[in-house]
Amino acid sequence: MFIESRKLEMLHKIPVVKTEKYWKGLEEGKVYKAVCKNCGEEYYPPRAECLCGGEVEWAEVEGEGVVEAFTTVHTIPAGFEWHKKPYTITIARFGNVRVMGWAENVKVGDRIRIKTDKDETGVWKVYFEVV
Amino acid sequence: MRVGVVGVSCSKFGRRDDVTIQELAYEAVKEALDDAGITQDDVDLSVVGSVNTRGYELMPAVPVNEYCGFAGKGPLRVEAACATGAAAVYTAYTSIASKMADVAIAIGVEKMTEVDTATSLAIGGRAGSYLWEFHQYGTTFPGYYAMHASAHMAKFGTTEKQMAMVAVKAHRNAAKNPKAHFQKEITLEDALNSRVITYPLKLYDCSPISDGSAAAILASEEKIKELGIDDVVWIESVGYASDTANMTRRESFVGLKATVLAAEMAYRRAGIDDPVKQVDIATVHDCFTIAEIMAYEDLEFCRKGEGGKFAESGETDLGGKIPVNTFGGLKAKGHPLAATGVAMVYEIVKQLRGDAGELQVELKNYRGLLHNVGGTGHFAYVMVFRR
Ligand SMILES: [Zn+2]
Repeated sequence: MFIESRKLEMLHKIPVVKTEKYWKGLEEGKVYKAVCKNCGEEYYPPRAECLCGGEVEWAEVEGEGVVEAFTTVHTIPAGFEWHKKPYTITIARFGNVRVMGWAENVKVGDRIRIKTDKDETGVWKVYFEVV
Repeated sequence: MRVGVVGVSCSKFGRRDDVTIQELAYEAVKEALDDAGITQDDVDLSVVGSVNTRGYELMPAVPVNEYCGFAGKGPLRVEAACATGAAAVYTAYTSIASKMADVAIAIGVEKMTEVDTATSLAIGGRAGSYLWEFHQYGTTFPGYYAMHASAHMAKFGTTEKQMAMVAVKAHRNAAKNPKAHFQKEITLEDALNSRVITYPLKLYDCSPISDGSAAAILASEEKIKELGIDDVVWIESVGYASDTANMTRRESFVGLKATVLAAEMAYRRAGIDDPVKQVDIATVHDCFTIAEIMAYEDLEFCRKGEGGKFAESGETDLGGKIPVNTFGGLKAKGHPLAATGVAMVYEIVKQLRGDAGELQVELKNYRGLLHNVGGTGHFAYVMVFRR
């Protein structure tokens, strides 16, 4: 015998005040990392504070990257049912930072270029294109 | 001061539609108290390990504690993703080592099957850094390990067949473990032909979604003498480490740095420089087959890159140089997150006592190794037990 629980739904409002530059950048086709002016540390995902206490500036992730890992998701999680077919999550290295993005037909070692686009749910994100 | 394990237990893993989380926890607690020959009155502190992100009881420690008869003692709630069990044991251990308690119980309990699979995947996919991973890219927990598999295959030539062999071994052992979720053997073909979950991982590369509980009772050397317990497995050393939440902040995808660091700490403290020779039984965190292959390397059972070949060699089978996951692994016994690490203590203690029946390994060093990972190498615990 079972008792069904009362339904609980949570929708969070996530503050992106400190990383607004990044999220606005995606809409302009730009992917930003954060670079510390003091110690040179590069952050991706970007953050507005360096752990050394130094001031951070925004710099674009540009040029060609190299695929280090990927997976094609066939068993799709709740929240992504709208994507009716498998999607490929890829991690690529661009100099001192690694970036996650969606790609098609990639394998480890492929050279890829970065771009941004909006998915069907209106979320802007990183996509990679094999060079 | 030495800390010993005086009582262990483990529930049947699997789909447990017959119990709530607190009832499931009590199954293990009762059995562990019986095993130690003590009662709740002898316990100073209860540590409740539960991830419980799939549960309706959002703050499970107190209901679990009350049901198990520990109201008034603790509970300390511990969460370290899939390493919650080892974290709970570590917490119990430090409370005794620091003389804040003489007897402490670590309870690991997880009910994972009360929600549907798509929801479960969406929760596991949040085991990283939500806004930068799941929110945009729909990461899943198998997906994180699949990315590691892709890198390992590309760099070292590790094959899907080698991964499948890990699964075959796990099922062969689990078939003899009455506590296991899956008590049936599978063939290499079954594994290789199973459907793709997240390329390159297939169904049989993945541990199932299981319910389960386990408990371990720890006590100080002094208290052990006082209680007149003479069959004790001692905690010889403990190592722990962590790594970045974001996958993009990692230096490599062919291993887990947290495991390497935790093993260094545990080995140094126990004086281990060749685990294959100095350990009789190892439990490693094989939530996915690639995880066991990487663990062989990160725990120094073989060189980096040779984990696939080591899986093929048979040296980790029962009767091999270093039998690994003789209980069937997370892969086939099941992986009820918080229960897993505590259940590893149960399986090691049973082996070191010589009570593992058909799955018994040969004891030369009377030493067992525990390796429990949380998230995708977000946490790692390595512990050495000795009888
Ligand atoms: Zn800095």
